[in-house]
Amino acid sequence: MAFLFLIPAFVAFGAFSYWPMIRGLLISFQETNLVDPATWVGLDNFTALLRDPLLSTAIANTLLFVGLGLLIGFPAPLILATVMSTVRKGAGIYRFLVYLPVVIPPVVAILLWKWFYDPGHGLFNELLGLAGLGPFPWLESPRTAMLSLVIQSTWAWMGSTVLIYLAALVTIPAELYEAAQMDGASIARRLWHITLPQLRPTIGLLLLLQLVSTTQVFTEPYVFTDGGPENSTLTVLLLIFRYAFRDGDYGQAAALAFLLAIFLGLLSTIYLRATRSWSSA
Amino acid sequence: MKKTTAALGVAALATALAACGSSSGSGQESGTITLRVQGMPPATDKPGLAAFEKMAADFEKQNPGIAVEGSSADYDPLTFSAKLAGGKVEDVIKVPLTEPQGLIARKQVKPLTAELARWPHYKEFNPQVLRPLSDSAGQVYGVPQSPFAMGLVYNRDLFEKAGLDPDRPPATWDEVRDHARRIAEKTGKAGFVHESKNNQGGWQLTKLTYAFGGDMEKQDGGSWVAAFNAEPARQALTLLKEMRWSDDSMGDNQLIDQNDVIKRFAAGEIGMYLGTPGTYRLAKMTYGMKDTDAFGVGPMPQAGGNATMTGGDVYMVPRSASAEKTAAAVKWLLFAYAQPQYDTGAAAERAKALAADPNAAVGVPTLPMFDEAQQAKIDEAVKPYVNVKLEHFRPWVEGTPELELRAEPPVQAQAVYAVLDSVVQAVLTDKDADVSALLAQAETDVNTKLAASRQ
Repeated sequence: MAFLFLIPAFVAFGAFSYWPMIRGLLISFQETNLVDPATWVGLDNFTALLRDPLLSTAIANTLLFVGLGLLIGFPAPLILATVMSTVRKGAGIYRFLVYLPVVIPPVVAILLWKWFYDPGHGLFNELLGLAGLGPFPWLESPRTAMLSLVIQSTWAWMGSTVLIYLAALVTIPAELYEAAQMDGASIARRLWHITLPQLRPTIGLLLLLQLVSTTQVFTEPYVFTDGGPENSTLTVLLLIFRYAFRDGDYGQAAALAFLLAIFLGLLSTIYLRATRSWSSA
Repeated sequence: MKKTTAALGVAALATALAACGSSSGSGQESGTITLRVQGMPPATDKPGLAAFEKMAADFEKQNPGIAVEGSSADYDPLTFSAKLAGGKVEDVIKVPLTEPQGLIARKQVKPLTAELARWPHYKEFNPQVLRPLSDSAGQVYGVPQSPFAMGLVYNRDLFEKAGLDPDRPPATWDEVRDHARRIAEKTGKAGFVHESKNNQGGWQLTKLTYAFGGDMEKQDGGSWVAAFNAEPARQALTLLKEMRWSDDSMGDNQLIDQNDVIKRFAAGEIGMYLGTPGTYRLAKMTYGMKDTDAFGVGPMPQAGGNATMTGGDVYMVPRSASAEKTAAAVKWLLFAYAQPQYDTGAAAERAKALAADPNAAVGVPTLPMFDEAQQAKIDEAVKPYVNVKLEHFRPWVEGTPELELRAEPPVQAQAVYAVLDSVVQAVLTDKDADVSALLAQAETDVNTKLAASRQ
């Protein structure tokens, strides 16, 4: 009987998740134009993929995005949530403001930021110009393009993470802080010895989610730069997209997607094992 | 950060739809064939839509047994594959001229020569406009709509402000450089811009290379290899570098594609760009160019190559269409797009219907779809309805026949463009870019891709 209740979910997942995944896997060993019957080509798609000089560029860029995301995008919401949790007046307004970017459709936000980043008279260069700085090329230089993408996506996605941290911060028993205060612990020590350890399971989960989602970054480089300048923002997902929809090489696209899935699966497993003690803490 | 779905998502998009539909779209076996065609104007373009509906009704009257169902969608590489796999793609698709060679190579469109040849005037087609739609064996895969040759579009208003003669667009690349510098100095606008992303940087560099007398690909022992690592492309890139960094005449934004360019041109921000007379329609109808009198277009400026490239939109038939539908589709293509360029009565009627909309562009000159004598008759027939300033297109009309019309690189053109995009980007965004080193690296990359492709 219980099994019957599972059928709708199983059918839905099967048709829209598992079957496309299996098809994707099969296509990675085929050459197809999606009209004629596909031909099996063994590992040809994988060898062609490994020979593409852009693959290593795309991997390095993706790792750079993930790394910069960890450096900038990961601590930012944690710090912001900690500060916001101490605000007594108008907390709702701050939460609304922080969450607002999440509500804006990503492409709209990116097009807005494109204007902020305009190398001529964009908002940032105008503002920095008042302080006698710049003008900076932002998206138009291989040196700063990826950083510009990370700053925008941190702004865009921080809202949800801040709310999760705020919810977790509320659960920390107040007596811990009171006791520490009585022992004369400074704000920094309270943060280090109470807040962070108490937030550890949340931090751990959000870190994993961020790793997985930043590895799959696509919208930002696609809309902002199309992978340029000089392929400096070409990411793995953008490369998959180019194979499939620009070159019409579905086999190679599926092969890279498959490798990415394996990589993310391995990453998640290793991460969860390494941090098992965190979640049980 | 981007919350993507499963990692296999991209391929899954195509395959999910593939799983949904497996019919080949053979249409009804008996009775009326329903022909689904792209190219219908959107609902916002009321006169255009009315003209299309009338055209469809006239076609149905002439061809009992075929019902035309218009679609305002254009070819979109994102959805095309999925729709094709699911048998959901229209029976006639509207494709920009950068795509046919890829579609032909992937066998996703149907050869139409046998069907087209039944039309009595088929042999009179201008071979130059059919070449970009043909494979190496000479099979033809579509019919063009308004075929164009690339030229130099310029803002006549900015020319005047910079003290330049708007009736004499630059004929050489030295003149382009000089004019761009003067426009930038006198008006503060970008004198000349060059596209650099979405494969359009490579596409435009190809036109430039042709104008400098170069080639993109050559045959070497039976297989194709890159040919652009030579003096013409080097000179073209060096010119861009000088214009960007020494003259500062190319504006601030360099990571741009054609839409960005035309949008900014329509707003009066750009002096010159490489484009066709057809971009007039985009500037006016899509980007609301107010001062359309400022639109001028000349032939492709030269630097020893005496050549340019074709452009425009074409109509093709996807492989999923049945034989029956293909026959009907070819009848439609000839009726809708070839006949009005051949039959003066049809041309006049079409122009009259279009002219009812003040926002439409009627009479934008094209390359002759047939021979020049035929084109002259058509031009005469539509004359009363022309609402563009023909004299502003005259430099292009008069100068283009002097040039050789060259097609896109024959093998993997899009892959070549993708590699060259980053070369163009490097030159336009890095003051210290080393043109020779960039071309050498691009040559290696393109040769790797060409070797891997099933040529």
